[in-house]
Order: sequence, then structure tokens, then C-alpha cells
Amino acid sequence: MPWKQGYTVSDEIGLKDDELAWPRGAACAIQLVIDLNIATTPEGITPKDLESDAAVFAATEGLAQLRTVLARHAMRATVSVPAVLARIRPETIRALVQDGHEIAAGGLKGEDVSTLSREQEQSRLTATTAWIAEAAGTRPLGWFGLPRQSDPFAGGTVSPHTIDLLIDAGYRYFGNGQADDIPYYWVTDAAIGRGTDAAIGRALLTLPYHYHFDDQWFCMFPSKGTGLENPDFLARNWRAEFAAQYARGRHFHMVVHPQHSGWANRAQMLDDFLAHLRAHPDLWIATGTELAAHWAAAHPPQTHLRLAPSIWKDYDGSLS
Amino acid sequence: MTDTLAATLDLLAEAAARADARHEFIPKVTWPQGIRMAVNVTLDFDAMLLRRLMNEPPSQLAKGEFGGRVGIWRMIALFDSLAIKGTVFTPGRIVELYPEALRHVHAQGHEIADHMWEHHVPKNPDLERDHLRKASAAIESITGSKPVGTRSWHTQSLLQEEGFLYNSHGHAHHLPHYHRDPGTGKALLNLPFHYVIDDAMFYSFAWLGSPNQAQRISDPDRVGDMWWDAFRQQYQQGGYLNIVMHPFVSGRALRVAMMDRLLRRMQAMPGVWFPTSEQLARHVLATHPAQER
Repeated sequence: MPWKQGYTVSDEIGLKDDELAWPRGAACAIQLVIDLNIATTPEGITPKDLESDAAVFAATEGLAQLRTVLARHAMRATVSVPAVLARIRPETIRALVQDGHEIAAGGLKGEDVSTLSREQEQSRLTATTAWIAEAAGTRPLGWFGLPRQSDPFAGGTVSPHTIDLLIDAGYRYFGNGQADDIPYYWVTDAAIGRGTDAAIGRALLTLPYHYHFDDQWFCMFPSKGTGLENPDFLARNWRAEFAAQYARGRHFHMVVHPQHSGWANRAQMLDDFLAHLRAHPDLWIATGTELAAHWAAAHPPQTHLRLAPSIWKDYDGSLS
Repeated sequence: MTDTLAATLDLLAEAAARADARHEFIPKVTWPQGIRMAVNVTLDFDAMLLRRLMNEPPSQLAKGEFGGRVGIWRMIALFDSLAIKGTVFTPGRIVELYPEALRHVHAQGHEIADHMWEHHVPKNPDLERDHLRKASAAIESITGSKPVGTRSWHTQSLLQEEGFLYNSHGHAHHLPHYHRDPGTGKALLNLPFHYVIDDAMFYSFAWLGSPNQAQRISDPDRVGDMWWDAFRQQYQQGGYLNIVMHPFVSGRALRVAMMDRLLRRMQAMPGVWFPTSEQLARHVLATHPAQER
């Protein structure tokens, strides 16, 4: 029986508030993610999805609205881009690069990869990296497996191979993990590294995600026309989490979609929240790659990943 | 036709009589001198185990893992900062995964109680006993003694054979009450909780298998208001409130901040007692024992 295979992906104790130090003595790290995915099903973006009014709105007025609001508050975002959109609308990607945002990969077509074979997933990953590099001018260093509104779980999707493949492909971070509210290491094999000075395993830096700060679960969820509209819940979650994380000196993240937060009324809410956030001193507004670079320097796995030795036992009549 | 109706009514009446016989209520629970109301602050430390048991995907496991890496430490720090004693109901397997966190829970004076070996109860009676004993032994390895409390649907007669003093699961009454085993006739104290006073209901997506159309994920202000109303109503009656939280859910920073405000507000009222579930159980057992049969 390997380590805690199938149960846990990281070490047993996360970093405490007083163990964190952000660049230039910042009080809190801030990461805003724009998710360009418009897929309505696990298979990812389909022709039907692209012909929907929501997709047209997202690509035009919705994204323009988000860019305007972010520019007003000098917010640099990390953009999760399904690679097919980078091919179909490369001018959109160039405009986002011009704005100073980071372009990250959001799958080949924003799909759920969990049912793909390793070979299928690898070939899609290779194409995704190339297509996004072509549109953005530089290769993506971050990868997101963000959820769709129709997903049965709101945490995003990976296959058993995703993190390994990302490490092999030179990615610096995976964008949506739920095991912490600061960056942490996703360990794919704890056995590697055993017997050396530090048991660090094979690991990829993972940035935090929690669905309570993602607009898609509060804006006409789970479907247009019949879904629930609870933007006030979202606004209070943003404010409460930001207040708490700022006080602790940790990390605050939020996810917005052009088809949701790009609508004028919700864009006003985003505008109000960003004005509130920006009124606080000592924020570090960071993109995913900047967070990853800081983490690699300040909290490398050699000194900060603390994997306990395996204690898991197999018993008759119990889960193995 | 009349015979069929009469037979149907008999079956229903017998079911109602069996349900009544299984419960013994305490009309008015009295608390120790100077205490107006008791609040049990309880944590279900499931972490990722239930997710694993239900074969949910890796993102779900990570969501639970937050509770072991981060949430449990924050909840204990919160209780300690307010000098409140809590009860941590933990599956035995979680003791194996997070022994350091649970040693800390014990060292800070909080109760550790059973939450089943693997968050489920096997149907086979021998395996059920095996699981319960494994869970108790795992907790004993941390605390030095067997747990006296459980939050489980274990067979009551088995729990009583194994020396448990209370369960904290059923909700047939809002005050502590007794469950009488139909076979042995023995009564076991139950410390009830209501699902409305359970954080997962409002913060955990897909809770208990709920579909997307039935999500009610909310914000801490709304939940805090609901729970304050529940507290205030019981405070007026001199009653009881059991607040159920999960470290992977309430351990998130925004919710810890909400609980900090809420618990301080409760503490500011005169005569509010925050005992461990064991302390509360021992008080009720001593002052309001089950009727002799």
C-alpha cells in the first residue's frame, strides 16, 4: 500500500498565518481569475455552446465590461482559457495580454478530463499548450481544471494522470485546489524522495479555489431562465473572506466569468467590491505565475512540504 | 373493504406505538446552578473520509482534506480563544490520518468522541462490533481512554455493551432525551441536533447527494442570523442548542470569523454554559435519569 494514495494529496498540516511572508511585506495576496469557459457539459465547448447568446455575450460585451472594470482598479488577472477559444478568437487573447493579464490554460475545450485515457489527455494537453502559446506569445505556465455549472461537484475536475502530465509538460502550477486557502503542494507520488534529506515526493504547486468565491454558483445557477439568482450571497462571501484573510495575512481569490459578471448589474457589484478591496493598503495583486515564483522561492517543497510517513494499514472488512 | 381499512389502521397504530416506546422525553431539563442555557459546540471531523467512501473525485477529497490540514487547527484555536470546550466526533480512520491534530485537540481539553470507524456501520453484526472497537481503540491511542460518546447509527445495544454513555444523532426532540432499545429495554441518552444548525447544509455543495437544482449554498451572515435566532429562542426557554460544524466547512476563514462573532455574542448573555458533550451528558444522566423499567 503506498502512502495515503486515494485519500489525501498533500501534507498533513498547512502553513499557519505566522509562517507566511508576502513580497514587500504585503498584508495579503490577491488573485482574481477570469474563466473564459462557456461549456455547458462535461465534454467541453461544443458548436451549440458557441452559438448560444451567452457565448456571444461573453466574447463581446461581457469580456469588454470585465476588462473595463479591472482596468479601473488596476487589477491584473489570471485568465483560464480553453485552447479552442485561443484558436477561434486569438485577438481576444492578444487584448488580454495587452491589458497585462496572465494567460493560463483551461483545458483544450474546457472539458472534464477525468474520463480520458492518459494518452488522450496527454495529446490534448500538448495541443492546448501549443495553441495558447501561439495566441498569447508565450507558453502557459498555469493550468486550470475549473468546474462547469452542470458539474455534480463544484471543485473542478482532474484525472488520476493530470498532475503528473502537467509536471512533465513543465507547468508551474495547477490553478484550483481545495485543500488549502493559500498555495500548497499537490503530491502525486510520496515514495519518490524517500530516503533522502527531505521526503518531498513528486509534487506540483496548487493555487487555492473555493466555489463560494466563484460567480457561476450564484448567478442564474444552475441554468439560465430557471436558475437561482443570489448575487448578494456572492458579494457577502467575497467581503467576508477578504476581511478574514486580510486580517490573517493570507491569500484571497475570486473567479469571475464574462457571461455572468459581465452583465451590467453584476459588473457594478464587482466594481463596488474591487473599490472596497483597493481601499486597503499593502495588497499584493498577483497573477498565478507570480504567486508560483514567490512560493518556489519562499516556501520550496524541500523545506515546507512535511509528508508524514505512511501509517495507513489495510484491515479485513475496511476500506483499503 | 372495512377489514382491509382496519388492518391498515392497526399496522399504522402499531408503528406509532413502537416509535413512542423508543423515546422517552424530559419535559424540562434543568442545568447546574446559575446556568440558564447549555450550548454544545460539536465538530464532525470527517475530513475526506466520507468523500472517499462515496468514491467521489479528487477535487472532493481535497475539499475534505482542508479540514485536516487547516480547518481543525483553526476551530480549536477559536474555541481556545473563547475558553469554550468543544466535542470532536472523529472517525477512527481520521485518527490514523491526522494524529497530530487530534493530540492537540485532546491536549487543549476538548472531548474526542466516536464518529464510526469509517463513517458507516456495517450490516454484519460481528463486523459492526469490530469497527466500533477499532474506532474506540484509535481514539484511546490519543486520549488514553475509550470514548463515552458517539455520533453514529450504531446498534444501540452494542453501544451500551461497549460502555457508551450517549449518542448525538437523533432529533425526535430538541432537548436531550432517551432512546429505549426495543430488545433490551435499556435507555441511551441522545444529545440531539437539528440539520438547520449544521454548517454543511449551507456551505457544502452537493451535501448528502443533493442535486444542483437543490443547492442552497449561502453566506456566513445569513447563517449567523439563523443560528442567533435559534439560540435566542432557546435562551428565553432555558433550553439547549447543539451547533454542528465540520472543520472542512466551518474552518474556512470567513466562517471562523462569523463563528467568532456569534459565540462572543452568546457568551455576552448571562448564564450560558458551553460544556463538552460528555460533561452535559453526565449532568443530564445524574439529574434526569431514564425511568426504571
